[in-house]
Amino acid sequence: MNIKDLSSYRDILDKCSHCSFCQSTCPVYTESLLETYVARSRADLIKAVFMDKTMPVTDRVKEIVDRCLLCTNCQQTCPASIPIPELVINARYQIYEGKRLDFSRRLVLKQLMKKRGLKGIWSLAGKVGKKIGMTPEELPDFPPKTFEMLYPPKKYTVKGKPRVRVAYYVGCGTNGMYPDTGVAVMKVLKHNGIEVILPKGMVCCGLPALGEGDINLAKAMMVKNIQILSTLDVDAIITDCTSCGLVLKSKMLSVLDPEDSIYPKAQAVADKIYEVSDYLNKTGLSQKPEPKNWKYSYHVPCHRDWSPDLIDAPLDLLNSADLKEYRALNDPQKCCGAGGSFFTEYKTVAQNIRAPKLEDINNNEAEMLITQCPLCRMYLSHGLPKGKKVIHPIQLLAQAYGF
Amino acid sequence: MKNLAHDLSKLIGDDSVKSEPEDLLAYTSDATHDHAAETPNLVVLPNRVSDVSKVLKFASRYEIPVTPRGAGSGLAGGSTPIQKGIVLDMKRMNAIIEINRGNMTAVVESGVVLGQFHRSVEGQNLFYPPDPQSMSVCTIGGNIATRAGGPRGVKYGTTGNYVLGLEVVLPDGDIINTGGTCVKFSAGYDLTHLFTGAEGTLGVITKANLRLIPLPKCHQTVIVSCVTAEQAATLVSEIIANGIVPAKIEYLTRSAIGLLNQYLTVGLPPEGEAYLFIDLDGEMDQIKKEMKHIKEICSDMAVIEVRVVEDEKESASYWKARSNLYPALVSAMKKIIIEDVTVPRDQLPEFARSISEISRESGLMIDISGHAGDGNFHPTIMLKEINPEIEKIAQEAAEAVIKCALRLGGGISGEHGIGIHKARFSAIQLGDRQIALQQQIKKAIDPLGIMNPGKIWLES
Repeated sequence: MNIKDLSSYRDILDKCSHCSFCQSTCPVYTESLLETYVARSRADLIKAVFMDKTMPVTDRVKEIVDRCLLCTNCQQTCPASIPIPELVINARYQIYEGKRLDFSRRLVLKQLMKKRGLKGIWSLAGKVGKKIGMTPEELPDFPPKTFEMLYPPKKYTVKGKPRVRVAYYVGCGTNGMYPDTGVAVMKVLKHNGIEVILPKGMVCCGLPALGEGDINLAKAMMVKNIQILSTLDVDAIITDCTSCGLVLKSKMLSVLDPEDSIYPKAQAVADKIYEVSDYLNKTGLSQKPEPKNWKYSYHVPCHRDWSPDLIDAPLDLLNSADLKEYRALNDPQKCCGAGGSFFTEYKTVAQNIRAPKLEDINNNEAEMLITQCPLCRMYLSHGLPKGKKVIHPIQLLAQAYGF
Repeated sequence: MKNLAHDLSKLIGDDSVKSEPEDLLAYTSDATHDHAAETPNLVVLPNRVSDVSKVLKFASRYEIPVTPRGAGSGLAGGSTPIQKGIVLDMKRMNAIIEINRGNMTAVVESGVVLGQFHRSVEGQNLFYPPDPQSMSVCTIGGNIATRAGGPRGVKYGTTGNYVLGLEVVLPDGDIINTGGTCVKFSAGYDLTHLFTGAEGTLGVITKANLRLIPLPKCHQTVIVSCVTAEQAATLVSEIIANGIVPAKIEYLTRSAIGLLNQYLTVGLPPEGEAYLFIDLDGEMDQIKKEMKHIKEICSDMAVIEVRVVEDEKESASYWKARSNLYPALVSAMKKIIIEDVTVPRDQLPEFARSISEISRESGLMIDISGHAGDGNFHPTIMLKEINPEIEKIAQEAAEAVIKCALRLGGGISGEHGIGIHKARFSAIQLGDRQIALQQQIKKAIDPLGIMNPGKIWLES
């Protein structure tokens, strides 16, 4: 299946039994309880409008196509694993031809995706954006130093012979918004005898562009990253972000043409991609912190099904590090409502989706909530009262080590 | 229909009335794989019983057909609008009004999702057993309207056994409360159980009083791999005849297991021709006794494997796989026709034999996986390709399956209801006199015939 070619999805769409099990996990449907927004109806509509062309593209079609978080919950629930989010991306591509955002916003997005390494651009862009009302209030003030300024791209060796060597793909969220995650990852890896290469020239994984239906821009980002990542002599490529992981592990392969010469390289990169806690479980910790009785809960990001052990990975890791006071939320996998830029386009819908999650977190006795996705962290942090803190699981581990 | 939408919006609010074609498309079909459906003129999403009453009054005045709908997960076409009109989506009426421990009852609005209700009552160590396999989405209103059931039917019965009383909006908009919240009720005709199973043809169920029971303390799953289909069927009859009442006895064929292995944490031996998924519940020592007894019966019959599942995660994987069977069958085939017949349990071996006969004669694959413990099977005719000739043979085979169940003393539907999918068989099941009587009842309650028209019987 190629994300640009809707007809390549026809066979898998035929496998939709119309069972409607997707109703159980779609956050947008659950918010309105209108079946139009549930995946089986989206599939029927996209088929009618864009494949069979029996219905025209109307404002209502646009609204239905836009009003999707691309959270992939439908696909995860679907007994036939039908990739509805890819159909939605394709529909946005066909409707907007890469121009879903207005010109200035598009320019900003493009620059941020491409030039995130430029010193201070994030911090500056954040400030300017807030001033002119272009960046949402939910975004925290970006720290003055990006992760790349704190840890410039190069090889970070360890004392003695490294146990393994990994490349660390740092996503935009960690680089610009939450460099503390990246710092924690670097320290934990080093402490456990893992040599880290921070490759030079990395750009955004491409997911924000996919969300805009701008498949060409997403592809440009992916190609650039693959060209660098595929040349590295490493045992694994790790990411701290579950959404970057989703792209690097799987979405990249739906965007690139299998006939394209870059495809085998993309496949080689995908084979090496791990979420950091998942990878640390596989290598095991060589150093263990002192046991701690810190209570923590866990919000599982929606982009969680690209690796079989991913969902429990942070819990398994922290448990193996003697952080045993996990307090489960009632519904750890319920979406936070952020969904890329969704929370800015559908403010009320997103807040309604977030509300039960916040209640769940507030009712939990743990003050610390771990989650790997920087966007979930941002959107949940914004809604939580003081005293509750959202951090990356590796930050909690780093704290246990006393870093 | 613009005016209609406008008028109804004025009555119950803009957000509750949808008339754009993109919205109507979503309400044209349900989970029934093959049937003709019409696009409705309007979708109405009431928030409260007074909304329903206003809509029905309005519909009566203008004689507009009304098709009530839960999750649209039905398998008989019961919630699809075959005469256009209004689809009444009940899912926004989803409050669990009361869970009463002292009386072991609950009061719910009809749009409550069954799975959510399960979680709520089980959190208080209470139990509401009906478990249609679409429970993650299906609504209690839909369950009541179709008398839905599931694997637990063998020990606990189906939805109808748990309904004590209903709030129903009649076609003219009047609201009645039938039955009550007491275990016993003996005043007048049992209207509660007339509306239960009426598939929305007599009125709209808006609220239900449900009976609860204590949550069983323990459960254990055992998977039996059988040499032949007949052996599995005989085993079911033997278990029942020996006085063991498991919570579930599911029968799965080799081809079903082939499709479901992807969902299992531990695969099953491939050489079996049929498999039984059994779940025992209750007190642990009683479960152990029954488990021992089942093992003895299995050993006497020389089955391939008896797997007593100790790990809860593994156990859950079998039941999750089971609930994915229908979608998995659809995914694997070009088209399927699923039936919902029942047979007396002592007739299971004969039924299994007859179905393989029909399969052989028609040259079509027929999977008979189903809730063997309560005699409710879902013979599924699986078509890898479709053309008019094959479809004709398939329809004949479906008819042969149904006639076979009737010949053995069974019925045409155990839990899906009739809808439009089985309407042509109603007369065979019920006979002309009963059909005429049912139609008289329908006429008495819904004289204009606006409620879910075209369902249950063929229009004569």
